[in-house]
Amino acid sequence: MADIQLEALTKHYKRGGEVIRALDGVTLDIAKGEFVAVVGRSGSGKTTMLDLMGLLLRPTSGRLLIDGVDTTTLGGNQLAHMRALKVGFVFQEYNLLPSLNVLENVMLPLRYVRSGKDERMRAEDLLERVGLTDRIKHRPTELSGGQAQRVAIARSMVNQPSLILLDEPTGAVDTETAQQLVVLLRRLNQEDQVTIVVVTHDLDIAAETSRMIRLKDGKVVSDEPVAPSAVA
Amino acid sequence: MLGILLGLMEIVRNITRRKLRSFLTISGIVIGVLALTTMGALAENFNALLNGGVLYFGSNVQVGPPDGQSASLLPLSKIDEIKQVEGVAAAFPSYGFQAKPGAVTTISFGVPDTIVAGDPAENDWAVLKATLAQGHQLDASATGQVVLGSTIDKEFNKKVGDTINLPIRPSDAKPDFVNHPFTVVGILNPTRTAPDTFAYLNIADGQMLLKDSLPFAFRDVDVTKITEGINVYGKPGTSISDLDKIADRINAEVTGVKATKTSVLVNSFKSGGAIFTSITTAAALLALVIGGLSVVNTMFMAVAERVREIGLKKAVGATTRHIMGEFLLEAIFIGVIGGLIGYGLGVLITVIANALTPPGQSTLFLVTVPLTVFALGFAAALGAVAGILPAWRAARLDPVTALRNQ
Repeated sequence: MADIQLEALTKHYKRGGEVIRALDGVTLDIAKGEFVAVVGRSGSGKTTMLDLMGLLLRPTSGRLLIDGVDTTTLGGNQLAHMRALKVGFVFQEYNLLPSLNVLENVMLPLRYVRSGKDERMRAEDLLERVGLTDRIKHRPTELSGGQAQRVAIARSMVNQPSLILLDEPTGAVDTETAQQLVVLLRRLNQEDQVTIVVVTHDLDIAAETSRMIRLKDGKVVSDEPVAPSAVA
Repeated sequence: MLGILLGLMEIVRNITRRKLRSFLTISGIVIGVLALTTMGALAENFNALLNGGVLYFGSNVQVGPPDGQSASLLPLSKIDEIKQVEGVAAAFPSYGFQAKPGAVTTISFGVPDTIVAGDPAENDWAVLKATLAQGHQLDASATGQVVLGSTIDKEFNKKVGDTINLPIRPSDAKPDFVNHPFTVVGILNPTRTAPDTFAYLNIADGQMLLKDSLPFAFRDVDVTKITEGINVYGKPGTSISDLDKIADRINAEVTGVKATKTSVLVNSFKSGGAIFTSITTAAALLALVIGGLSVVNTMFMAVAERVREIGLKKAVGATTRHIMGEFLLEAIFIGVIGGLIGYGLGVLITVIANALTPPGQSTLFLVTVPLTVFALGFAAALGAVAGILPAWRAARLDPVTALRNQ
């Protein structure tokens, strides 16, 4: 069974008298453990699709199922709960809280959901896996862009979600760091069998994933597997 | 548990992150709570004084001369007549004199030093009971003994066994001024009300002082047959309304006296306290509300600065209630910190002011448990109220817009 199912998913906005079709009837399945890139030009609808899959936006029509649950029928608090348990986010600007240290930032999602006793151990383990054990007491301002993004990746995984959504995760770092981040993502994807969807305009990054979905004007124009690269 | 701890740590760091702003905001609350604590302590002190009056006058009926009589003198025989009135269980003569005649009377929050003479047996009927710190009560038939209240004792620095001449001789006393030596047999614990400034004598000594105080032409009067006033008691536990009925019956059945209704005296004390409390509390609350407005401003700025953080928290699973709760808690935290500091400073000021009060003068401030609870509770509540609107705005932010806020 598909982990994520988009069924004729549509998101329309009204701007003035004009209707913007940000996402226009997208239907696709993403299986558990897939590593998917969503590419397309600016305004193609890829960020809207990410926000819909992350349950931050409600669709105008269509259905979105995560682990078989039709999320379009859920209320605000249920959606928040589902985000806490099922979805991890990574943003271009990292969005780490400046008042918290690295470990506390990773543990932030645990604040909003009950998740067992070994929370701190899990957070520390994730920081070890992203190579930041020696930085756990540091503040976000003391980190490089690559390190900050690795903290954000650890944070996205702390609740052991089914799905991690990344919005231009390499947009604010140099090419080499971007490459390292993608290698890290692929390793986490393979080790944890977590589904990863990364929105990017960088085709080099997209080429490192296993499937590339191309959007244009809110519609899927291509959806095909990516040939394994030399890095893999 | 871990989540709550992390949340609290974040609140503390958010407050300390903007040090100057937090300092100014908390200062507003500090000033408000400081005003509330000191003004409240002033009101509490005054209320304790008045409550003594309510307790004392609420337990008996005061009988004095009828309206129009110039001297406050009554035949002692009236006591026997009053005892015949229905509902009267006991009646005692009472005498009162200025302890420091000729002293300049100033506006004061205390009761002036007073010599009170009465029957020691009246203690068994009194509701306001002063306990002894040292020594013993007056011996029933002894003369030349005095029991001092705590303030008057400190003023003249007397110990049990010492002698005190009463009334106190004024510095500009005339040659015919008379006073008498009394042996201090007991010293009372502080009551924060009238007994603190009282010197208690037996009836015979009271009659002696009465004779001294009469105009020369009346000195031949047999003072053993005269009292200044009569304190009338019902059975223990008699209500104020029943005491009022006793007063009415005394006025109807006994001639040459005037009984004042208990409720009239009690209400005059209560209304005095209520007005004073209203004035001081209103002034302090005004200061607090101004402090509260600074919390509103600070929290709105905090929300504006943390829009992306709010968006992120929503993205990782925070509900509207979580966000609202976090901002409310931060506002309450500011209120509580300001409250604790303001209360601490207020208590410090009242303690110092009370310590600096010269011996023999009543202290001005009384910090009570209800005042403490009110001051700290109000500071926290103020923080909460001030935080509601900013927290609501934060909680209602759309996560998508908030996350991409520049």
